Amino acid sequence: MELSEFVQRGLQYLTDTDYFDSKTFTVFIKVAFQSLLSSHSDHAILGGPEFRHVDQTLLKHCHVATTTCILEFVKQNADKSTISTCLEDLKYDPERIDMFCNEYQKNKSDLEHLLASLGRCPPQICDVAWRLEYQIKNSHVHKVNKPSYLITFNVENSGARSPEEIHFSCTMEQLQDLLGKMKDAAKSLEKATQM
Amino acid sequence: MEEVDKILIHSLRQVGTEVGEDVLSVKQFSSELIVEAVVRCLRVIEPSLGSGLSHVLPPGMSARFRLGMSLAQACQDLGYKGEIGYQTFLYSNEPEIRSLLMFLVERLRRESAESSDQPAGKSALLQRAIGAKIKAQLSVPWVPPSCRVPFLCQSQTPGSLHGFHARPLSLPQSSKVSRTTTKELKEYCQEHLPPVTAQMSQQPSVPASLLEWHAAELSAALEWEGEWNSQGLVSRLTPEEYKARKRQRFRKRIQDQLRHAAQSRSDSQHASRSSSDLADLLRSFTGGAGGRDVLAKGTRFTHTEKFAFTQEPEKAAQQMTTAAESLPSSRRTEQDLQAQQEEEVTSLQGQLEQLSLRIEEVGADVKKITVAISQVSDELKQKELGNAEKEQSLRVKKQTMDLLPDAENNLDKLQVLVEGSAKRVVSLASQWEKHRAPLIEEHRRLKELCSSRELESTRRLSEIKGLHEKIRQAAEEAKKKEGLYRQLMTEFETLPKDVSRSAYTQRILEIVGNIKKQKEEITKILSDTKDLQKEINSLTGKLDRTFAVTDELVFKDAKKDESVRKAYKYLAALHENCTQLIQTIEDTGTIMREIRDLEEQIETENGKKTVSNLEKILEDYKAIRQENSALAAKIREA
Repeated sequence: MELSEFVQRGLQYLTDTDYFDSKTFTVFIKVAFQSLLSSHSDHAILGGPEFRHVDQTLLKHCHVATTTCILEFVKQNADKSTISTCLEDLKYDPERIDMFCNEYQKNKSDLEHLLASLGRCPPQICDVAWRLEYQIKNSHVHKVNKPSYLITFNVENSGARSPEEIHFSCTMEQLQDLLGKMKDAAKSLEKATQM
Repeated sequence: MEEVDKILIHSLRQVGTEVGEDVLSVKQFSSELIVEAVVRCLRVIEPSLGSGLSHVLPPGMSARFRLGMSLAQACQDLGYKGEIGYQTFLYSNEPEIRSLLMFLVERLRRESAESSDQPAGKSALLQRAIGAKIKAQLSVPWVPPSCRVPFLCQSQTPGSLHGFHARPLSLPQSSKVSRTTTKELKEYCQEHLPPVTAQMSQQPSVPASLLEWHAAELSAALEWEGEWNSQGLVSRLTPEEYKARKRQRFRKRIQDQLRHAAQSRSDSQHASRSSSDLADLLRSFTGGAGGRDVLAKGTRFTHTEKFAFTQEPEKAAQQMTTAAESLPSSRRTEQDLQAQQEEEVTSLQGQLEQLSLRIEEVGADVKKITVAISQVSDELKQKELGNAEKEQSLRVKKQTMDLLPDAENNLDKLQVLVEGSAKRVVSLASQWEKHRAPLIEEHRRLKELCSSRELESTRRLSEIKGLHEKIRQAAEEAKKKEGLYRQLMTEFETLPKDVSRSAYTQRILEIVGNIKKQKEEITKILSDTKDLQKEINSLTGKLDRTFAVTDELVFKDAKKDESVRKAYKYLAALHENCTQLIQTIEDTGTIMREIRDLEEQIETENGKKTVSNLEKILEDYKAIRQENSALAAKIREA
């Protein structure tokens, strides 16, 4: 686990009992987790009565460091042992490490969810309906006589509650190509599990 | 043997051989299975050897033979000492196959043990974790959205997604860290800077920005470290000095570039045009075809803009005057007004043109005049210089002229003067020498000191570098070891517990115990046998002695008594019969032993499946003949 110098310094301030006694520390860690998870930004999170005696600049520095370090832990899927070794390196005492780990475990799934929601994801196909169409002729060509498939994918889109539909038509070869690609994709997925 | 076979089959299954559930011992292995097992093992042990071999036994006899030969060759290449050939695979017998498989499996173990000593890289670990996660998700059946329980929602509902938008963050500058913070900055950090999580308008970009910022910070630190180790240490400056120097260098380079570009531009283009226009400058300095167009457009735009803005006051003034003029005569017709205005505009334009023409002319004149002035001033300077020289020579000549009338006297005086000055020069030189010697000495000493210091510092520097290297290596090694430890721990945890190392060890211990017991029994039997032998020996001796004594006594008496002679005869017959009996018993024993040996031999021969193998060979022989005849027929047809 690598942390930048800025973050390390901020985390080290937290061990300083002049600024943070154990009660302030507990409140501060809770506030840090909350500030990451709350859906609306709150300017006054660090203005609580517990932090009256702490220098605001220092407090903000610690806040940046703590939130960054929490995010890094979640990103790396760190377990308790990793966290405790990392914090031990920064001279945390066991009590604070325990406190941090407990809070981390409590919020881990929410934080994972938060990180998972960053990024993009193509819609998921959950159902398909098809129809065979036979084109005899059209306005340009007198005699076509070709079959084609009309495919409807029911897709589950990110966020949207109701399923959407995707319509398209394709020839036999194109459909076979699509099928082949899907099989390939499934196979690659299988292969990835056997690493 | 059962245990061995179980272990063998287990490890073969791990390699990927499809050993059926009903196959319990090596005896049941078919040729196909043997070939597959051996090829799979070879592929794991030595991919280059195994990759060229197919694990399926081909249908053609000659192809089978060839495959067998190449397999045997590959096994010998691996170092298999036993007897091996195509027959081992095609006409298998149990003990040979067992020993071959044991050899291969042993090699397998060692190879895999060696490979697990190296810690897997971070990416491999990540890939493995991803694989495990995908596996877990694949094992869960898909459930339609309406029936999903919360547990499934996480993996199967895509959820609302936000793009990864990282934005720059404003971070607090602690006064402890940077001494150069201004009072205003301090006040801003103290009072007005919102906490990091409140800086974004959209909440999802908070984690994105934080992660991005941290990654950038880390990579910058890494880069700086690399640069410092490669170049910074050699320059013998403190990090701050090094940074300052680098900054200075960059600034100078940019300045040079800018100046160069500005010069080339003012040379190539018209001089009167302002060269301070940054956009123009940039255009001349990018030089590229693509960038030029864009910038050229921009500059044209700025030019027109500038033009419009500079003209505006003039225009306004014009409008004002026209308005003032038109006010009293406001009753004139519109057309007159327009005509007048147009006239005025044209006259003004004419004036403007004339004026600009004149300005240009005057500018050209001015330039000419300035050139002329500079030429003239140059000439003037040269003339002045010449003048001064001439005055100097004139003065010297005048003095000599003055001295001429009283030549003798003056010559003497001059000589004395010259001598005096020569003497003075000599004395000064000696004095100078006196001063110089210690100074030079000092200089030399200092120089030496300097060079020795330099040497020392280079030595120290190299030492420091070595230490740095060592530290890095040690840290790396520690990290690697830790990673390995963790990996092994996780592997250990994920290992199937029921494949029971303990069961194996228990079995091994049992076997060892059995062997010990057997050994004891064997020694007991051996000692028994020895005792028996001894007893037999003593008995035989006793018998011999008794017989000799009896023989003697009876023989002595036999001469005298007829009945005793008879007794003696009986005795001799008895003795002979007994000897025969013993002989017979011994013979029976040896025969029994031979029988047992033969039985064992029969068993081993039976184990070699000779009959079935012979039948197989016969069949294969027939197949080969058929193939050959078919080939011959083909040739004939062709």
